[in-house]
Amino acid sequence: MADNGTDELEQMYQEVILDASRHPHGKGVVPADDAGTTDGEATVAAPHEACSAARSHQFNPTCGDEVTVHVEVGRDEPHRIEDIVWDGQGCSISQASLSIMVDLVRGRTVDEAMHLFDGFHALMSSRGAGLDDEEAMDELGDATVFQGVSKYPMRIKCALLGWEGLKDSMAKALAAQRRAS
Amino acid sequence: MTDIETIRSQFPILGQRINGHPLVYLDSGATAQKPQCVIDAESGFYETINAGVHRGAHTLAARSTVAFEQARAKVARLVGASSQEGGEELVVTMGATDALNLLATAIGNASLGRGGPGAERFALKPGDEIVVSRAEHHSVLLPFQELAARTGAALRWLEVDEDGRVMADLAPETIGERTRIVAVTHIGNVTGAITDIAPIVRRAHEVGALFVLDACQSVPHIPVDFHALDVDFAAFSAHKMYGPTGVGFLYGRRELLEALPPARFGGSMVELAYMDRPALYMDPPARFEAGTQPVAQVVAAGVAADWMMGVGMERIAAHEREITDELLGLGQVDGVRILGPRTSEGRIGTVAFEVDGVHPHDVGQYLDAAGIAIRVGHHCAQPIHRHFGVFASNRASAGVYNTPDEARALIEAVKGVRPFFLR
Repeated sequence: MADNGTDELEQMYQEVILDASRHPHGKGVVPADDAGTTDGEATVAAPHEACSAARSHQFNPTCGDEVTVHVEVGRDEPHRIEDIVWDGQGCSISQASLSIMVDLVRGRTVDEAMHLFDGFHALMSSRGAGLDDEEAMDELGDATVFQGVSKYPMRIKCALLGWEGLKDSMAKALAAQRRAS
Repeated sequence: MTDIETIRSQFPILGQRINGHPLVYLDSGATAQKPQCVIDAESGFYETINAGVHRGAHTLAARSTVAFEQARAKVARLVGASSQEGGEELVVTMGATDALNLLATAIGNASLGRGGPGAERFALKPGDEIVVSRAEHHSVLLPFQELAARTGAALRWLEVDEDGRVMADLAPETIGERTRIVAVTHIGNVTGAITDIAPIVRRAHEVGALFVLDACQSVPHIPVDFHALDVDFAAFSAHKMYGPTGVGFLYGRRELLEALPPARFGGSMVELAYMDRPALYMDPPARFEAGTQPVAQVVAAGVAADWMMGVGMERIAAHEREITDELLGLGQVDGVRILGPRTSEGRIGTVAFEVDGVHPHDVGQYLDAAGIAIRVGHHCAQPIHRHFGVFASNRASAGVYNTPDEARALIEAVKGVRPFFLR
């Protein structure tokens, strides 16, 4: 049934997205929170030495999508993301976006991850047009499959949910390092 | 309804194509579409009558006031409320949410000792109880939960059965001597289940409590008569009954409205205002209608009420029952669970469902590609979703203009959801 509705649907739910949502990367058990709080404010004990760990809980009240992102960030420059794990539930867009994000940022520095965050944000604000900056598109790799989603204002939040968790948890990890030093 | 095409042709929005498909609008529970006469009434008001109501001495002001009050009377006739001059029982609000907040705020004011003679009957104090149900929309739950918190009253609730229907037989144990207010939905906005309110109303009155009805989902779909139902207050919105957005109504038994203190203050609700003495407020409904009213929208809401009575509420209900029967076929689709009653007995054509393994946002997107509009999310009723063990659901809700073919188109499309996402 070739019609523009189906075409749009296929463009939005590309195989990469459906695949990533069914078999998400980086999804696992978020380490227990020593402080016993669940609001994402606490810094958790990091299994990796020379790392600070932090978590961020993100929630989309309109649909109930929910994720906790846990990162472990190297204490020394250039503050590499040594580990990232998330747990949560939500629509295929949010789950796939988290999976692809994990593959993109694991092992990158916080600065590099923030650069990707900015690029992905820009992509999701492009209303389906994508980014003119080819280099930025290249950097985003598989995350460019969400270009189709950026046409749907109500779904942009789904794609950004995990990225917001990444940004917030990295900021908390760095803040914890500053407090410790 | 044999003349369904005649009905449909009055709704200009329904004629369009969405994503290459004829629009199938099954989201009337969120907001109903408007017939041409309602659209024309709103613009016609601005073209010929527009002026402030209840003020000014010029011709247009008089015409505007008459149109406003006639509209109130039309809506009153639809719901069995009095519209006699001096005996009006409908207060114009900005919506049903606003109506419920207005009521809760007014009761809060009475609890602070405000209001004239008789206002003390509303006053709440620590130890008192407010009873709601698990099936409530947040617009009922939250204003009364906040009212309880402000006054020290305790919030209790009626539970729902496995279909999500409010369990009326729990009324004797949940509603007791301490209960002062009972606020329950007439029809669940998620489940479509009609509450058997009679025993709840009886029990509330037995213990001297006020009964507040959320009639948002009943007024558009079944015949409703507030006097016959013997409720004390009720709230409903115009935009779900084929009228404009921005308008709702608070029904109150006249003697209660007369005793209830105002909740909002300003122009057009005060008889005498002084610098050094307390103001003297107007009688209802003006006492509760501070500020400039959405006059064009109220006038159009009156036209909507007339339009519904013209079609006939019995006929509307009978037609929608046919659609409900079709929609309930969703339960036969592989992996689909209906959240609510599975037969058309005691329910309306608001059918919530879950598709196993597929998030409601994805279901909604998939259906939209086929031109089908349903609601996805928690429908502003999180507690009842928790009862069903989900955070969000899909909800198809019928209106007078839906056809059995449209319900079948939804079911056909839903059949494709799991194969698409779980391929």
